[in-house]
Amino acid sequence: MKDTVLLLAMNGLIWGLIIALIALGLSVIFGLLDIINIAHGDFFMVGTVLAWFSLSATGNFWIGFLVAPLIGFLLGAIIQRLVIQPIHSVAALSIVATFGLSLILQETVRITFGATPRRILAPIGGTVPLFGVDYEIYRLFAAAVAVAALACFFLFLQHTRLGIWMRAVRHDRETAIAMGIPARRVYVMTFGIGFALAAFGGAVAAPITTVDFRGGVDVLPFCFMAVIIGGLGNLPGTVAAAVLLSFLEGLIQSVADPTIARISSLVLMSAVLMLRPQGLFGGFTK
Amino acid sequence: MTLAAAGATFLVTVPWSIPALIDNFWVSVITEILIWSLFAASVNLLFGYVGLLSFGQALYFGFGMYGVALGIDRLGLSFWPAFGLGIAAAMTMALISGIFAVRLSWHYFAIITVVFSLIFYFLAVSMKPLTGGDDGINFTLPPVFRFDGKAIGLTDPTFQYFFVLAVVSLCFFLMYRLINSPLGKGFLAIRDNNLRASLIGLNVYALRLIAFVMAGLLAGVSGALFAFFGRYASATYMFYQVSGEAVVWTIVGGAGTMFGPLVGTALFIVIREIVSSHWEHHSLIVGLLAILSVIFAPRGIVGLWNGWMSRLGEREPVKKAPSRLTLRAEP
Repeated sequence: MKDTVLLLAMNGLIWGLIIALIALGLSVIFGLLDIINIAHGDFFMVGTVLAWFSLSATGNFWIGFLVAPLIGFLLGAIIQRLVIQPIHSVAALSIVATFGLSLILQETVRITFGATPRRILAPIGGTVPLFGVDYEIYRLFAAAVAVAALACFFLFLQHTRLGIWMRAVRHDRETAIAMGIPARRVYVMTFGIGFALAAFGGAVAAPITTVDFRGGVDVLPFCFMAVIIGGLGNLPGTVAAAVLLSFLEGLIQSVADPTIARISSLVLMSAVLMLRPQGLFGGFTK
Repeated sequence: MTLAAAGATFLVTVPWSIPALIDNFWVSVITEILIWSLFAASVNLLFGYVGLLSFGQALYFGFGMYGVALGIDRLGLSFWPAFGLGIAAAMTMALISGIFAVRLSWHYFAIITVVFSLIFYFLAVSMKPLTGGDDGINFTLPPVFRFDGKAIGLTDPTFQYFFVLAVVSLCFFLMYRLINSPLGKGFLAIRDNNLRASLIGLNVYALRLIAFVMAGLLAGVSGALFAFFGRYASATYMFYQVSGEAVVWTIVGGAGTMFGPLVGTALFIVIREIVSSHWEHHSLIVGLLAILSVIFAPRGIVGLWNGWMSRLGEREPVKKAPSRLTLRAEP
């Protein structure tokens, strides 16, 4: 019994770290462009599929870690330029546009990859004893990669020119433009980075979940929950909320079935929305 | 004016003569369009007239469906009580969730409505003995009424079409009356500026709650009709993607217009019916269409049409103006 609790809690924690990557992408897009991105779950799904394609093309799993975010970034930049820019960040229209985008991404994957779900074998096999449980090494490795990627992203946001531009445009668009920051280019880059984060999350998660053209549908509500509970526009809050939620779901799953776990985190989220709409971790940092 | 008269004549005559003109397949497609357009109208009532974007209307659709299906299958109700149960279940649920949801606005409202609908979706999936989960529950249709000892029911596609058309028309008429009543003007005031609305003494919370329950009614009626139409109820119709489709239909058709949701729904369902028999990847076309329509017609198809009409209306008086005036106006 104690073993199952520990195992599911660990699974929850690690899944939470990967979700944090994806939710961070959603939060960045939302905070900067005011876009409610219904297609974000599919960005993750595209990442898992890219990992599968690069594995089957080259025989080397690790290339996927490079290919998925790169292609994700390019796709994101193109999508921003073609679809998102013409609708001028009108949130209601963004829902329709990204809904259409979600259909197109899913259908394109169904045509090219096929409708049958597939699995990727973990590139690092074997288990390691951890607190008395035999734990899969790849999951631990995935957690480490996710943490490293999160750290890199926050360093990027704090210390590179593009990162500073992104924060500046989010803080005050008019002033940022007046100071000579190319806001349009920042928007294109931001959407690309959001897609890249989700796609990278997909590549890391591919050996843990199944690769399926509908794989993003379940991930999307979870990412939105993390973004809301963490507080809209609060990036560290998003990460903390994703990890916390997933960890809690893992704990509840050890005593009840997964659906009950999902329902309880939804109820928790309703309570947060009603009582602390600014999120669990402080205010609207926009 | 003539246009309005032509429109009214069209609405009075054409829909009622459709079963005489086309085959049963298309009659059933049009029946489905009518049912779903009522569902889209419930999104439109909230978003187009009160400014609340609900992403969880599928919850009330699902309650309407399950009210009918459980009423007939488990409680042994006949047609009208089951219909009533479905609508009452949807409205009660809308009242309960509305009490919480309408306190919030904009993004938060959209998210809390989707959260409520997800909670009940997962509940419906997990309570398999009652709801049948994703597989759903089937039931046999009771007759609508008995006439001269003969049972008349929805098993006849022509009668089913007329029944759905009558119910949907009634609901659209009620919505039209609601929007044009003082209450409806209050809705519009809240949509345009809820602070000003509250400053002139409107109770924003109460008005939003009324609108939310009315939208629940529309969604519940459409869910009940869809249960009769498909003779079953399933949890899959409570998933957030169903709500999302209604939002897309509404915005593509034209939010804030009476017939926008009908146009949007008809467009997407007709495309699905025509293309899906030839090409299995019809979602690509639907997705492309959704994107193109928000880029080129951000106020929806009906909004675009109204824009053309009013521009035509503006141009006419210019032509009629005395030629001297126009000559002087040009440099």
